[in-house]
Amino acid sequence: MNADVCLSCHDIERYLGEDESRVHALRGVSLDVEPGSVHAVVGPSGCGKSTLLYILGLLDHPDGGSVMLESEAVSHLPDDELARRRNEFIGFIFQFHFLMEDFTAQENVIIPMRRLGQLPEAAMRDRSAELLEAVGLSDKLERASRHLSGGEQQRVAIARALANEPRVILADEPTGNLDTKNSQRAFELLRSIVHQNQMALLLVTHNPAIANACDWIHEMQDGRIIASHAGGFG
Amino acid sequence: MTPPLYIALRFLTHRKRALLLSLSGVICGVAFFICMQAQTQGFAKYFIDSSLGSNGALIVRSRFEPRQIDSIVPTKTSNTNVAHRQYFEGITNANEIMRVSRQFSNVVSCSPVLRGTLSARSGFENATVDLYGIDPALHLQTTDLAHQIAGGSLYDFRNKPDSVIVGSRLAESLHVEVGDTLQVLSPGGQYRRFAVAAMAKSGVGSIDSTRVYCHARVAQTLLHKPYAASLIIYKLRDPDRAPALAQHFENLFQHDAMSWQEREQSTLHLFLTLRLSAAITVSLVILLAGFGIFNVLTMTVLSKVKEIAILRSMGYRGRDISAIFLWQGGMIAAAGSVIGCGAGALLSWGMSKIPIHLRGLLSTDYFVVAWDWRHYLWAILLAVISVFIASYVPARRAAQLPPVATLRGSSV
Repeated sequence: MNADVCLSCHDIERYLGEDESRVHALRGVSLDVEPGSVHAVVGPSGCGKSTLLYILGLLDHPDGGSVMLESEAVSHLPDDELARRRNEFIGFIFQFHFLMEDFTAQENVIIPMRRLGQLPEAAMRDRSAELLEAVGLSDKLERASRHLSGGEQQRVAIARALANEPRVILADEPTGNLDTKNSQRAFELLRSIVHQNQMALLLVTHNPAIANACDWIHEMQDGRIIASHAGGFG
Repeated sequence: MTPPLYIALRFLTHRKRALLLSLSGVICGVAFFICMQAQTQGFAKYFIDSSLGSNGALIVRSRFEPRQIDSIVPTKTSNTNVAHRQYFEGITNANEIMRVSRQFSNVVSCSPVLRGTLSARSGFENATVDLYGIDPALHLQTTDLAHQIAGGSLYDFRNKPDSVIVGSRLAESLHVEVGDTLQVLSPGGQYRRFAVAAMAKSGVGSIDSTRVYCHARVAQTLLHKPYAASLIIYKLRDPDRAPALAQHFENLFQHDAMSWQEREQSTLHLFLTLRLSAAITVSLVILLAGFGIFNVLTMTVLSKVKEIAILRSMGYRGRDISAIFLWQGGMIAAAGSVIGCGAGALLSWGMSKIPIHLRGLLSTDYFVVAWDWRHYLWAILLAVISVFIASYVPARRAAQLPPVATLRGSSV
């Protein structure tokens, strides 16, 4: 096993639904993600991209196979331990931003830090301000997230995903709800941060331009990775 | 501040209407509970204080001797020798009993009373009276008679052997006032005239409507009794220990002894029943508040499904999510209890100012309330338990929500 791999999965099997509506969503999927690399998972709707992402993000349990986080098998860990690993090692970005609407931009970024509990209140505020400044929102720290534009909300989500300095960022169509300009901007921002901080980024996307801009592209079909190759600009 | 507490606080403050609704339910429940308990216990305490002040915490009465009855034909269910008591009217050695009983640390003072039932007349009005022949000095030490004087002069009574103190409601029914004459019919059939020196108002209807106090020697003459006391009444430092002392006195003096708890048993049961009934009724208000909170929190959980999924994705554990909703309930319970206690105290104070003309079991012109910290403790306890139960189910549901289904964008 490659010692540089920060997140990997082997022979992942996953069934969704019950009885007659049961679907074999993932059929023996294996994947390695190295620090500093950007991976795109592409494929038609329903091919199992998001299912794979949530299993890699320890939000869902595979029916077979294993997930390794920094060479440690984690699939079998109890729920509390999985939550701790998610908090420490993984940052999530979702298509619809999924910010806490009643919270300000800064409070949203602080939420994962509060759970980690390693920084005092003032330090959390400073770090969240730095992160929001890095994504170009230094003037909107105190603004309620529901009053931000779609592009701004996605940038807050990026800052929030980076809050605990995760090893891996998992993004489920992070630009799916943005216009072309904002999509490109958000992706460039993510990619530069990931490369800068030697994190790993795995994103699910339907956008060919974004997929081509990634280091690796994994094509999925019917619950399998049918091809993995370097990105167009990689 | 823990992360769940912080998030709970934010959730709560962003749902002001729901918060106010839940809070007002708890406040009302707690306040009503305190007010009802203050009233019911107030009347019970008023009755007990009045009863103790008039009749003492313990009384020693007739002498008895154990009597053994030998059954000639033993029954299947009884013993061969059945213990009985033979009672002898009056107390012949009252001074000796009082001297010994004063040695007991719980006894503050005691007073002999010669008691009898007679007929009294004033003008055209007649009434059966409960005559208490007392030693004024000892009786004033032992009872609250001095504080019960509602008119006239205690000084006149002490210095005039042919004077009486009449219960306030008896005076009303006989139409006598201070300075008037009251005729009391002796067992020999002769009327004896007494000047009404004062009127006493204990607050207990049965006492105020029958009792007449006169001097012990006069009572002995009037009642034609060979003994100077038919009972001794006691004032105790700790009236709650009266039953044990009564038992001890019975064994020691071979005289029938009765504690105030035994004497007022039926009335105390009545008050207890009323208190329990009121407590159950008002607890329903708190329970309803609990249902309100249950609804509000359940709605909150349903409206925060997305936020719960987000929190889970960021590493919040199931119990953190649960804690967020339990904290919300806890904060409602805490704030509701504090404000409810204040409102309850205010309501109780307000009740005590409401005029009421009560002339039955008790005589009072205002609502009587008792100030007892235990009412507040019980109200808080009930509110906390009710809110905890109401919060637990939604909190548990929130913790069990699968985040993936929400994050995918499908309905849960």
